[in-house]
Amino acid sequence: MTSFPGPPAPDAAPAKLEHVRFSYDGGATWALDDVSLTIQAGERVCLVGANGSGKSTLARLLAGLAAPDGGTVTLFGHRAFDDASGADTHAYRAARRLIGAVFQNPEDQIVTTVVADDVAFGPENLALPRQTIGDRVARTLDAVGMAGRRRDDPTRLSGGQQQRVAIAGMLAMRPRLLVLDEPTAMLDAAARREVLAILDRVQEAGTAIVHVTHHPQETAHADRVIRLDHGRVIAETRPESDRAVPRRAQAPARAAEPAAGGDVALDVRQVRFAYPGAAAPALDDVSLTVRQGEVVALMGPNGSGKSTLTRLLCALERPDGGAIRVGGVTLTGRKPRRRELTRLRRTVGLVMQHPERQLFAPTVREDVAYGPRNQGLAETDVQDRVDDALALLRIGALAGRSPFHLSVGQQRLAAIAGVIACRPEVLVLDEPTAGLDDAARERVAGLVRDLKARGVAILLITHEADEAAALADRVVHLDHGRVVPAGDADRNTGADGARPAPQPPASFVARLDPRVKTVATLAAMFSAFAIGSPWQLLLAALAVGAVVTASRLAPLRLLASVRPFLVLFAVMGLLNVAVVRTGTPLVAWGWLLVTDRGLATAGLYACRFALVILLGAVFLATTTPTAITDAFASLLTPLRRLGLHTQELTLVLSLALRFLPTLTGEARAIMDAQSARGGSIETGSPPRRIRAMAAIVVPVLAGALRHADGLGLALDARCYEAGAPRTPWHELRVRAGDVAFAAATAGFVAALVALGAVT
Amino acid sequence: MSMISHTQSKDSGSRADHGTRAHATGVADAGRWSTHRIAVYALFVALAMATSFLEFPIFPAAPWLKYDPSGIVCLVAGFAFGPAAAAIVSTLGFVPHVFTDPWGALMAILVAVCLSVPAALVYRRMRTRAGAALGLLAGAALALAAAICGNLVITPMYAAMSVAQVAALVVPVLLPFNLLKFAIHAAVTFLVYKPVVALVDR
Repeated sequence: MTSFPGPPAPDAAPAKLEHVRFSYDGGATWALDDVSLTIQAGERVCLVGANGSGKSTLARLLAGLAAPDGGTVTLFGHRAFDDASGADTHAYRAARRLIGAVFQNPEDQIVTTVVADDVAFGPENLALPRQTIGDRVARTLDAVGMAGRRRDDPTRLSGGQQQRVAIAGMLAMRPRLLVLDEPTAMLDAAARREVLAILDRVQEAGTAIVHVTHHPQETAHADRVIRLDHGRVIAETRPESDRAVPRRAQAPARAAEPAAGGDVALDVRQVRFAYPGAAAPALDDVSLTVRQGEVVALMGPNGSGKSTLTRLLCALERPDGGAIRVGGVTLTGRKPRRRELTRLRRTVGLVMQHPERQLFAPTVREDVAYGPRNQGLAETDVQDRVDDALALLRIGALAGRSPFHLSVGQQRLAAIAGVIACRPEVLVLDEPTAGLDDAARERVAGLVRDLKARGVAILLITHEADEAAALADRVVHLDHGRVVPAGDADRNTGADGARPAPQPPASFVARLDPRVKTVATLAAMFSAFAIGSPWQLLLAALAVGAVVTASRLAPLRLLASVRPFLVLFAVMGLLNVAVVRTGTPLVAWGWLLVTDRGLATAGLYACRFALVILLGAVFLATTTPTAITDAFASLLTPLRRLGLHTQELTLVLSLALRFLPTLTGEARAIMDAQSARGGSIETGSPPRRIRAMAAIVVPVLAGALRHADGLGLALDARCYEAGAPRTPWHELRVRAGDVAFAAATAGFVAALVALGAVT
Repeated sequence: MSMISHTQSKDSGSRADHGTRAHATGVADAGRWSTHRIAVYALFVALAMATSFLEFPIFPAAPWLKYDPSGIVCLVAGFAFGPAAAAIVSTLGFVPHVFTDPWGALMAILVAVCLSVPAALVYRRMRTRAGAALGLLAGAALALAAAICGNLVITPMYAAMSVAQVAALVVPVLLPFNLLKFAIHAAVTFLVYKPVVALVDR
């Protein structure tokens, strides 16, 4: 292989593939078979083709994230792979610094909890000087229109905003080639337009673009469109000629039908619901009805309350006002009885967003059978239902396969079958075709038509107007929790996403060096357990009071964080009271002897534990996860001499803190989905409850692995390498205020100890 | 100083395509700290953190003793990725708890490490159902000892009890609670580890 490659020639083709082959199963089948392709500098190329045609694999090869099984790969003029000598690590490493990659799922590309820090991650890995990193972050955030959100938490932004941040993160590395693998697949129409606009600007700036998509409208501004099928390039065209192809097969013209519907199966009346602590209600005076055999589409921008309504329909939440009548059960603010819940679960079927995430069983058949089995049916009936459901979705051939070995489209169909097998009278589908290709969409559409013919009432939530037009009898529009006439909802694109996250108030405590803060907080928390006398308690209370004041946090909010522990206090208190038998007896009640010493001890222990919790709460409220991990990284550096990989461990911690809310949300969705199919860990025999737990644990673990795959690719694309030099953008500096705080804490601990010795 | 990595295009094909030898570029895709491994550790740590907050009482006699499923996550991480992963997940997973309940967090870390690392070590030698069962037993036994000792040390800090008084609680309360807790961990892990390990090795 050649020695260390020099800088690329100015107009070297960014990527040149010759006769590459790629197989995921050691040669049994070829994901890419004899593909040759050159991307010229500054060119915009679209890769199109059905799911499974090899587009994503090809994108990965072009981005230098994987090496093929055969053929030749030349990146920026340097040979990165050939049959004779395999992969050249140096060439790949150098090439990756010039190539940016953006993937489908924006969530898996976000690595921190602050937008600006996320964009800075790539430049940090390139070991650029701090000043340069700051400049690049500012420029690219401007370029994608997210400058105003630089301090926000990217996990709380809308999908479109997250993709823009991901693109900014790549642009900050100044790539010559940007590879995007279906970047708009999970976005709604407005967000899609935003992302495409940014791509146009990137194209104008002279960066080469490879854009994988299965939306033919997105190829309009490409220089070339390359079509793949079963791992081969079958066509290469100019975009004009593509426009002649219709977007998808025309929906079959519907004969004039009589007004659909038998009896009203679902009746939502003036429902009002607000999430606790939210400023505005998620649903406000919403009414709608769905009859048997009728399909009603529910449309509206993100955040309009559509998914909230589905949760109310399945009694996963209770309405604050109004009522829902479904399946003979009326749901109001009152907690429903168990029998009503069971009845409800048999009547309403809910297919949540991305239902493939809830698959857990060893085979598709087992997973589809989960719902009917929980309904207590005889095994033969269960199997009949399974066969029927698989037939409706035309996936009978997949019955014996593991759901984890299927493609996403197949998994989606299997998950939907699992809900259909419960034979619901009312079916709620939340964006069932999001991210599916045309063939899979057609199957879902066929399912809806078949179920409609069977008299099922269907509520279809969708972003796509043409899907609603093709399948629904009526369309209801929601916007900001209200039913609105059709025109109004479209006007507000809702591209704004969530409100910016609340920032901790700028205060002395918030601005402390996180290392000093961490050590001081931990020292204070541990030594608080040495408090044994009222005087020490007083000293500690004063110190904590001072810290709370200096942190400018609302005291009531802080006390609210103590609330979950109140039960613990009560129990501990009782325990103390029961155990301490010295001192003057106050109350004697059977074996329980309450003495004044007992009460005093209980009070002391409870108060000191409360102080510990308050200190911890102040710390967590005034320190961002990034600051915490920066502190850990710095504090643990001495341990490097013992062989501990502190930089990598710190990255693991920081990524974990970032994914914590994401996984919590997904776990909750999975628990909801399984409980909607009748699986519950709170009721039933122990084996059944353990099975129900497995039905939650397996998909949660599978989800974690899925995120890890995407995250690993993102780390590669942003040039992270364990052990390689990198520049941290934020500099930790200890200032006068920090020294003073450290001294004060040391003084406090000393005084505590002294008081303890004296009293 | 060149680091040419070998690609075996005729790989057995049974390894997952996470930049393993088959399609490796040589950049950050091998060893314990490859980017994929870092990502996996991070997700499992996040999962351990999330589950460590899902507490519910399982022992009516002692409602302050709560069960949380994070032990299952540590065990599965150990089975799928080895003892080092088990240790990392067990330790980092309780970092948020250090700032709400410091001694409790330390004890939780000790118990989690004693549970998952021995189990992972045993399973590494015997990658069968029997090996898994044996590993779970070993881990549970060690974790039980650690939990009892930990309680003896820590409970006096939360309640005005001497070590002797806590010792009196061991047989009636602490032992059955912890036995039940580790039994649940072992049962669920035994049910779920196979599909996860299969996913990793696919």
